[in-house]
Amino acid sequence: MSTGIGARVKRKEDKRFITGKGKYTDDIRGDNQAYAAFVRSPHAHARVKGIDIAAAAAMDGVIAVLDGKQLTGDGIGNIICGWAVSSKDGSPMNMGAWSALATDRVRYVGDAVAVVIAESPAEARLAAEAVEVDYEILPANAHADRALSKSAPQLHDNAPGNLIYDWEIGDGAATDKALAGAAHVTEMALTNNRLSPNAMEPRSAVAIYDASDEHYTLYTTSQNPHVARLVLSAFYQVAPENKLRVIAPDVGGGFGSKIFIYPEEITCLWASMKTNRSVKWTADRSEAFITDAHGRDHHTTAKMGFDKDGRIVGLKVDTIANLGAYMSLFSSSVPTYLYATLLSGQYNIANIHCNVRAVYTNTVPIDAYRGAGRPEACFVVERMMETAAREMGRDPAELRRLNFVQAFPHQTPVIMAYDAGDFDANLDQAMAAADVAGFAARRKEAASRGKLRGLGYSSYIEACGIAPSAAVGSLGAGVGLWESAEVRVNPVGTIEVLTGSHSHGQGHETTFAQIVAERFGIGLDAVSIVHGDTDKVQFGMGTYGSRSGAVGMSAIVKAMDKVEAKVRKIAAHVLEASEADIVIEGGQVKVAGTDKAMGWHEVGLTAYMAHNLPPDMEPGLKESAFYDPANFTFPAGTYICEVEVDPDTGETEIVQFTASDDFGTIINPMIVEGQVHGGIAQGIGQAMLEQVVYSDDGQLLTGSYMDYAMPRASDLPFFSVHNAATVCPNNPLGIKGCGEAGAIGSPPAVINAITDAIGNNNLAMPATPQAVWNAIQAAK
Amino acid sequence: MDMTGQYRIGAARDIVWAALNDVEVLKLCIPGCEEIEQLSPTTMTARVVQKIGPVKARFEGNIELLNIEAPASYTIKGEGQGGVAGFAKGSADVTLAEDGDETVLEFTAQAQVGGKLARLGSRLIDATAKKVATKFFDNFHTHLTEKGPTGG
Amino acid sequence: MTKVTMIVNGKAVSREVPDETLLSDFLREKLRLTGTHVGCDTSQCGACVVHVNGRAVKSCSTLAVALEGAEVTTIEGLSNGELHPMQTAFNEHHGLQCGFCTPGMIMTSVDMVARYKSEGRKLTAEAIRTELEGNICRCTGYHNIVRAVEDAAGKM
Repeated sequence: MSTGIGARVKRKEDKRFITGKGKYTDDIRGDNQAYAAFVRSPHAHARVKGIDIAAAAAMDGVIAVLDGKQLTGDGIGNIICGWAVSSKDGSPMNMGAWSALATDRVRYVGDAVAVVIAESPAEARLAAEAVEVDYEILPANAHADRALSKSAPQLHDNAPGNLIYDWEIGDGAATDKALAGAAHVTEMALTNNRLSPNAMEPRSAVAIYDASDEHYTLYTTSQNPHVARLVLSAFYQVAPENKLRVIAPDVGGGFGSKIFIYPEEITCLWASMKTNRSVKWTADRSEAFITDAHGRDHHTTAKMGFDKDGRIVGLKVDTIANLGAYMSLFSSSVPTYLYATLLSGQYNIANIHCNVRAVYTNTVPIDAYRGAGRPEACFVVERMMETAAREMGRDPAELRRLNFVQAFPHQTPVIMAYDAGDFDANLDQAMAAADVAGFAARRKEAASRGKLRGLGYSSYIEACGIAPSAAVGSLGAGVGLWESAEVRVNPVGTIEVLTGSHSHGQGHETTFAQIVAERFGIGLDAVSIVHGDTDKVQFGMGTYGSRSGAVGMSAIVKAMDKVEAKVRKIAAHVLEASEADIVIEGGQVKVAGTDKAMGWHEVGLTAYMAHNLPPDMEPGLKESAFYDPANFTFPAGTYICEVEVDPDTGETEIVQFTASDDFGTIINPMIVEGQVHGGIAQGIGQAMLEQVVYSDDGQLLTGSYMDYAMPRASDLPFFSVHNAATVCPNNPLGIKGCGEAGAIGSPPAVINAITDAIGNNNLAMPATPQAVWNAIQAAK
Repeated sequence: MDMTGQYRIGAARDIVWAALNDVEVLKLCIPGCEEIEQLSPTTMTARVVQKIGPVKARFEGNIELLNIEAPASYTIKGEGQGGVAGFAKGSADVTLAEDGDETVLEFTAQAQVGGKLARLGSRLIDATAKKVATKFFDNFHTHLTEKGPTGG
Repeated sequence: MTKVTMIVNGKAVSREVPDETLLSDFLREKLRLTGTHVGCDTSQCGACVVHVNGRAVKSCSTLAVALEGAEVTTIEGLSNGELHPMQTAFNEHHGLQCGFCTPGMIMTSVDMVARYKSEGRKLTAEAIRTELEGNICRCTGYHNIVRAVEDAAGKM
């Protein structure tokens, strides 16, 4: 059975997970292990007037009680946002100071003010409770739409009116003119609900300080350990990079929330040095809800204009984005360059303008969550398309088709240049698989049972493979977004691949091995993937934005090209043939058209024995490469959701969910389908179940799984997942990326289906039974 | 959510008013009150145990009487820290109207919680607050009624 | 502190533990059986499910000292040499991604299939979804988990 590109290879990494042998951060125990518990603000906004640690410090098992003044006193730097976004008047964004432990003011419920280090987790927690913090409570605000009002409390002195930036993209005047001349204008107010990522493994950190060497080791739940080390060193001044090793072992899901470097990791490292102990912190779920960066929370009004034939003439969007109490690592880019640049959707739109105001509120910081800006854009565009079709009396599929981009490359008016795609093919495939032709009959049959049946589309596009370093640099990114790889062929021919990508569920140990094994004609078991340890792996950028395939694997291919070139030289030399005649297949390196060959393992041995190498060739067989993508990649597709609503209860069942995706080349369809399933589940969660709720004064009201509705098995259907691909022309494997598509494309499909069923287009996410029932009543 | 209630008490308004300002009566009537100490005629410290949903907490806090219009009305305000459980605040505007020999007590109360109580128990706050407020005025009513209409 | 003795994965173990020690902590911290995971603090997510006397139990809400003499099986003890059919099915059907919920999913599913078999009831996909009410997975959308349980049910 083939194990190469396109083969449904079972995952190599599964064995340790299904037998309980996975090694997650909390499973690791350092020498002389102590435990951290944080003292957190129960107030959304307060001045810290004093901290009395006397009672806590005297308790059993307490090693130290540390606060923000000591932390800043030791020179630990403030937490940064790594992407500079300027306002349209040219002024820089207003970044408020964020210390890992607050010194004088707390700005959200959960903001840490002190940490207790103790011999056991229980002792640490008890003592944390005994730390007395004198708070002067200040007025608080949790809501983005209120943040800009004069009456709203001010969070940061350097951000007047709580405004972080007032940013725009596109030609406003031209868009206004196009809309003024439109035959039909669809206008909507849309909210993209606030979500909590909820990777099942809570965040955790084990910091181990070695005083003899002044060296730190940090085991942590990270999607990008090298970036964590860079930021911890360069900005937070915890330790120089050569004295800090960051290891992200098995990580139990990320979805964006484990990209960022949080106060807890910083504090554990520092506390480890202060106490000369290993310090471990593991969040419980309650703590995760008030410390893991949240996602979304956009409040948007939009106008889309059409000519008399149904062609889009312009789109104008105005968005207020909540970034919470502080600016998290990539927070600024999410509602700007990852959002407004995708507002052209799959369509020819000559005029687009988008204005975004990002604001502070007394809530947990908001940053990238699966999709990061692109679900918000897709929701705007696809809700508008469906609504416009209804208003104009046009078929929603045909309205989309009429406006699809047909020719590539296609430059949109909002930066992105789409390189390849066949949007008709995805729409056709989805419609056939969903049996749209039979929908009318199914609707009728459902009506006979008293059920309302509806069908909704979403034709999404996203930008992945993030991203060409020079391009993102020109847009304000503080880092380059390439990826690295090293391919080490051992003397006996087995191969280790060191990659800067990080797997926290994506199956890299399998897919990455597939492309290497196929290229060199060796067995899958002869290839090992090494990742997640800054002492083992060269600098890398990590995994987010569906980039491990398009960027991470491209780096591996580049390194393999170099290995192959050397192998050819060695074989040509040993076999006395021309390099051009060398072929590598079936575990052998052969001279084409002859019976001259050497085993793959012999090539490795030859390279390391170095007894018989071409003149001037260095011994060894190990090559590395850095790959900087030439463009973003553009996964796209069409999702069709079919629902049945019980009009008496508002209860909605998804009876069919069909996906047709274009991810470019697929290495392992089994794994890709799994990514789509999970993405769709999160999208359905957003559309029907999930919502972070704050009281007006900033108390989090959905702080556990009793109140935050995670999708459960009985909430979801089986998914009908299909693939109609065009190859990405901009990377060696033709990969576009698949990690986020499901979460991006599915929410509008679900809401379009429910609103179709109930005959009321005014329905916000999450469409809970209560919300649906209310919408049904309002339409009566 | 505002909670409101009305009680008809078989006692003269002066007696009801005196009881509303009596720290011993308050101690008896505040549900879960373990200790109360008067600091001034209008301020007290108290320790109260409350269970809200899955969270049981001992609140250390202050009680304050304000907007005093003796003997017709006041506002009783409490606020307590429940340690890691968070905090709770509540207040009730109480008015007393004479109706012959009897007194009509009306109240409007609000409650607010923060921290873990809000995160884990928010669904139950309104119900719990209503229960606490009702229980207080029930206790108060019973206390005065059992002491007899003349107040003893 | 109380001394508790139980059979864990077929071996008798004895430890002195504080009375409030949860079974999940006992397994993870005292016995270093870290395959049992803790994903929430309200007994909702099911990552901590183990078998106590043959039945699936959430170890995060069970006190260790209450299990004197009990037989406990964790994910580490499910297979003896050969993988259990449920473990094989999760691999075959790609029923896991990050692997964190997986031990609890597998332990719940093994108990589920055994119960339905002993009661002579048919385990439909719908029933599997209902039975998984107490196990949350954020990665897979449950599609392949349900397929895996269906498959394993035929092989157990």
